[in-house]
Amino acid sequence: MAKVIAEMLVESVKLELPDVKTVRLQWPEGYDPGEFKTGQFITVYWPHKPKYKRAYSLSSSGLDRGAYEVTVKRDGKMGTSIVDWVDAGDKLFVIPPTGRFLPVFDPPGKHLICVAGGSGVTPFRGFVREATRRNLDTRITVLYSVRTTQDIIFFDEFTALEKENPRFKFHVTCTRLAPEHPWTGRRGRLSPEWIKSFIDDPAQTVFYACGTNEMVESVEHLVLHDLHLTKEQMKTEKWG
Amino acid sequence: MSSQVPSDLLYAKSHEWARVENGIATVGITDHAQHELTDIVFVELPAKGRQVKSGEACAVVESVKTASDIYSPVSGEVIETNPAVIQDPSLVNSDPYATGWFFKVRLSSAEAPGDLLTPQAYAAQIGA
Repeated sequence: MAKVIAEMLVESVKLELPDVKTVRLQWPEGYDPGEFKTGQFITVYWPHKPKYKRAYSLSSSGLDRGAYEVTVKRDGKMGTSIVDWVDAGDKLFVIPPTGRFLPVFDPPGKHLICVAGGSGVTPFRGFVREATRRNLDTRITVLYSVRTTQDIIFFDEFTALEKENPRFKFHVTCTRLAPEHPWTGRRGRLSPEWIKSFIDDPAQTVFYACGTNEMVESVEHLVLHDLHLTKEQMKTEKWG
Repeated sequence: MSSQVPSDLLYAKSHEWARVENGIATVGITDHAQHELTDIVFVELPAKGRQVKSGEACAVVESVKTASDIYSPVSGEVIETNPAVIQDPSLVNSDPYATGWFFKVRLSSAEAPGDLLTPQAYAAQIGA
């Protein structure tokens, strides 16, 4: 069945950070998105600006029906208008989900190491939500680089999911914290050594990287050239 | 897919190109840059008459995935901008070195800018 572009009502919004907002887009009556999966992205545009489109990873999972959630940073015209202005009751056009940045839940027993920078963490919320809700044996480790503790998106939800799902681990590294800041977690940039320290069985590990091109390419280099893993074990989502 | 790097242009490390003729530089972004950005949906250009310095952010492109600053590869006065890319930003994807140009700068120095990369050096930078 052909995928249908639909006008969707903004059901609710949640300001995650001063410059990051989650928007919940309600499916219209009779809407059939076709088959879609956790980790895919939707493309949105305003009714009055059909040529100006932006793509956002779903921060909800494929199990979440009835609405899509995207979590948007104030960036560019669309990001700025969404974070600053969008409210419940507004409408956006939505091109249905697509993309191949998909969690490998089948076969079971995989360890997904998900490396994120900034708002690149958003698709991983869907990964963890689905694995937790389905009680999968898949292990998920999110390695998340942010500038400061004020920039951590989904901190409360990831912390709660970590308690609920013993196979999920959430690790943050802060790159620009003042030395006197009381943060007891890791500091400094994502490093190959840090990422490698989470690998126990390389053959069962699948890497994901979502963020700037530079960050994604450095993880890709680590996985493919230093660790000599296969392309099927490296999945990327670049912002450009 | 390998990106095109025309041999008659100069390049900035930040992926802009400049075609310098008679003291005027025509500026755009490279084929590699447009590939990385993916589908471009919005372009904002500097005002005519603006004085720009080499390395100064003076334009913005947005693709479906991200928004990026564009840096002037040369110093001088912006004397012309390309209305076609405002009207149809996809020209930057389809024709980055010709109809997808961004703006023209009258160089503040009569000499061609010396700190830009040759086509060979830029090709090496992007692994083309």
